[in-house]
Amino acid sequence: MKKKQLLGALLAASVLLGGLSACGGKISTTGNASAPAGSTASGASAGEAASSGKGELNLYIWTEYVPDSVIQDFQKQTGIKVNVSTFSTNEDMLAKVKSESAGAFDIVQPSDYMVEQMIKQGMLQKLDRSKLTNLKNVSEAFLNQSYDPGNQYSVPYLGGVAAIAVNTSKIKDSITGYADLFNPKYKKTIVALDDYRAVIGMAARSLGLSMNETDGAKIAQIRAQTLKLKDNVKLYDSDSPKSALISGDATLGFCWSAEIALAMKENPAIKIVFPKEGAYVFFDNWCITKGAKNASNANTFINYMMEAQTAKAVSDEFPYLQPNKAAVGLLGDDYKNNPAENVPEDVINKGEHVKNLDTATLAKYNEIWTELKK
Amino acid sequence: MKSEKRRRRAGAVYCGFIYLLLFLPIAVVVVNSFNATESKPYLSWKGFTFDWYGRLLQNAGLLDAFRNTLVLAAVSTILSTVIGTVAAVGMFKYRFRGKSVIDALLYIPVVIPEIVLGIALLTLFATVNIPRGMLSLVLAHVTFCIPFVIFNVRARLDGYDRSIEEASMDLGAGRLRTFFHITLPVLAPGIGGGALLAFTLSIDDVIVSYFTNGQTKTFPLKVMESIKSGVSPDVNALSTLILLVTVLLVVLTQSGLIRRLRHKP
Amino acid sequence: MSKRRFRSSTAPVLTMVGPVSLWLVFFVAVPLLYVFVMSFCSIDENYNVVFRFTLANYRGLLDVDYLQIYVQSILIAFFATALCLLLGYPFAFLISRTFKSRKTILYMMVIIPFWTNSLIRIYGWRTFLGASGWLNQALMALRLTDSPVELLFNRGATILGMAYVLFPFMVLPLYTAIEKLDQSQLEASADLGGRRGATFFNVILPQTVSGVFSGCIMVFIPSLGYFYVADILGGGNSDVIGNLIERQFQSGNNWPLGAALSIILIAVTLLLVKLYQKCGGDIQSLGV
Repeated sequence: MKKKQLLGALLAASVLLGGLSACGGKISTTGNASAPAGSTASGASAGEAASSGKGELNLYIWTEYVPDSVIQDFQKQTGIKVNVSTFSTNEDMLAKVKSESAGAFDIVQPSDYMVEQMIKQGMLQKLDRSKLTNLKNVSEAFLNQSYDPGNQYSVPYLGGVAAIAVNTSKIKDSITGYADLFNPKYKKTIVALDDYRAVIGMAARSLGLSMNETDGAKIAQIRAQTLKLKDNVKLYDSDSPKSALISGDATLGFCWSAEIALAMKENPAIKIVFPKEGAYVFFDNWCITKGAKNASNANTFINYMMEAQTAKAVSDEFPYLQPNKAAVGLLGDDYKNNPAENVPEDVINKGEHVKNLDTATLAKYNEIWTELKK
Repeated sequence: MKSEKRRRRAGAVYCGFIYLLLFLPIAVVVVNSFNATESKPYLSWKGFTFDWYGRLLQNAGLLDAFRNTLVLAAVSTILSTVIGTVAAVGMFKYRFRGKSVIDALLYIPVVIPEIVLGIALLTLFATVNIPRGMLSLVLAHVTFCIPFVIFNVRARLDGYDRSIEEASMDLGAGRLRTFFHITLPVLAPGIGGGALLAFTLSIDDVIVSYFTNGQTKTFPLKVMESIKSGVSPDVNALSTLILLVTVLLVVLTQSGLIRRLRHKP
Repeated sequence: MSKRRFRSSTAPVLTMVGPVSLWLVFFVAVPLLYVFVMSFCSIDENYNVVFRFTLANYRGLLDVDYLQIYVQSILIAFFATALCLLLGYPFAFLISRTFKSRKTILYMMVIIPFWTNSLIRIYGWRTFLGASGWLNQALMALRLTDSPVELLFNRGATILGMAYVLFPFMVLPLYTAIEKLDQSQLEASADLGGRRGATFFNVILPQTVSGVFSGCIMVFIPSLGYFYVADILGGGNSDVIGNLIERQFQSGNNWPLGAALSIILIAVTLLLVKLYQKCGGDIQSLGV
């Protein structure tokens, strides 16, 4: 008897709460004409056009990378319903896209080496240059890169480095490079990226080796070095490492440059250090997947993201290295003179990009990672 | 007698301590829903406000995810309860070839770690190309709910007197009628228990949904996504509301029960 | 025994048991079989699964590092289970016996947290125990400590997190078993002069042992796979087998390896269940 009543109670609860969420559905349609309150499974099938007739768009983007306001504005302006999913590393993104049917995601955001990998695997389609009128806003220095000559498959979004964060109120020593992170006195102080290419690459750089080593003997050296990190890393976080820096859970960090910049804003005692060995450099791009069901909307979106105002809004929230010169013009000195945000050219040139490696070598890297995290 | 009282008090303190631990994180969630903080990671207390409850209604993504979860749980519960109840009765009444195989297969989703079920289903869906989304979620959730329904109904069937059914059939009622009018009412508590368990498991499922959801967000997965960037208090607000409704309904049904018991002669 | 019923039992069997049989075959047996097959496959340069037979994925059985992860994972699960049992048994006993007048409401109060999303509760613990968390802020405000106490992002935090999330799975079977205790036996034991300790070990424990085993299995096995607890509270520093498997389907891009690890995990699980049955555990009582 008791259980049956509880069942009834729970079903009643779900009706109540369903009513609440239905209300929410009605209120939230700011310019989003397509979401009727009773609809289920948003974004379940990318092919279903929303009732506004303008269609949908399925984004697959990095966490903490594209401001909600920017996406909401796009929805308002165009009436296209945008469904957002997020990933934490390039490899996660590749795995998910491969496990879904082709075209399940319209837009993806691979980094430099991942663009090359995805082109090689035939996972991307060429962009519609006729729709990308705002491409002129992007500074030439960031175009025509080796991973996608002529920008047929990608346009740059943001870039930066994986640098070191130091909470100078807790750490009084002078930190100059990646090698310092391996010092045993920093036990349980570091927040590191949860990204095996980044961390292992960082260990390689600290030894003066390349992030893309294939030689067995050198990999063994890198392995020994990486494992020294085990005692020093307190937690791994690729999504929002600034949280650990701000809360004081970590006093040293190996984080994305903008995350450090944001942490610095919250706590001026936190400083950024560009490693003297040369940093992990990355550049992220917009790409459209092959078989994307909303390719036209995707091109529209990418063009929208390259507008000066949009790019400025992005930089306001996630201050990475901004390739959009029109936006940089709008950003002013706060951005230009802040090396954590506007990463200096010499740091970029001294650094190294991740490159694709063969699966056998990557398997070795994965083993190092498994050992490190156990 | 005094030592009895002392023992009771010690016991009460102990239980109180356990309840404190159980509810502590919930208290944190509730309190933080009133936090006037604006900046990630939303941890430091910046003042009291009801703002986030209002902003919750504008968070389309979060509400969509919650709606998905409710729909998913409802559909999964109904499907698994129907299939499971019918199967439990069938397995109780009849002997047939392969019964032990079915029995063994039933225990697998219960006993193996959810992650194994999750990746196995993902593998199946990827190979057969079943679209990942609400469909794959329902299929996955029904899979782990059915065994619990069957076990609960079976427990109720233990000691079930078949002679009532035989009497019903002898009096001319067909098999179907007997099932609906005789068997089901007796089994009702077991079915209810199983359905409740199925609903609970589906609402809170993280791991299996993580692998089989495609792009469809369920509430637990949306929370997981929020945890990565810093949980904004509107997620706390929604959790608090859910908690309120649940507690309210439990209190109502419990007091309703007590009132009914009091009025019984 | 009516002849009519015996002759026509095929149709009812098919309609009643057919659906569940098909379901179990398609969504349990076939996927697991496919995982088994995939564990012997390899991946090509594009990370696609190819049907090239290899035993390399099972080298985890011989690799010292992988074995260490399994051992550590089992230890975490063991401690989580022990914690649940030690805290849960007296608790279930008190609710069922000592406070039996309020037992329904007390029982519901155990289930209610269960209905709140487990992720948000784990995150609540993170908010509470972090360096700027409530506990540390209180401790520092009370001047009990100068710098924050490190409570998170280690193996202990993972164990506590697992125990917390799985606590109801220990309490519920224990409660059910304790409810079934024969009061008259307890009274007889007391009448015969048995002290409380003796009564416990000789009468109560043996009768509730099925609940103990059931609870232990329902806590231990999931602990091996709950990767999100290890991620959120452990900080990615105390991986359990679940993390290892999850990684192969994500950044590792190596499904066959993930499949092999899963098969090994299933084997460990089945071993534990067999042990459970050998110790007299009733598999029928799981999940009720």
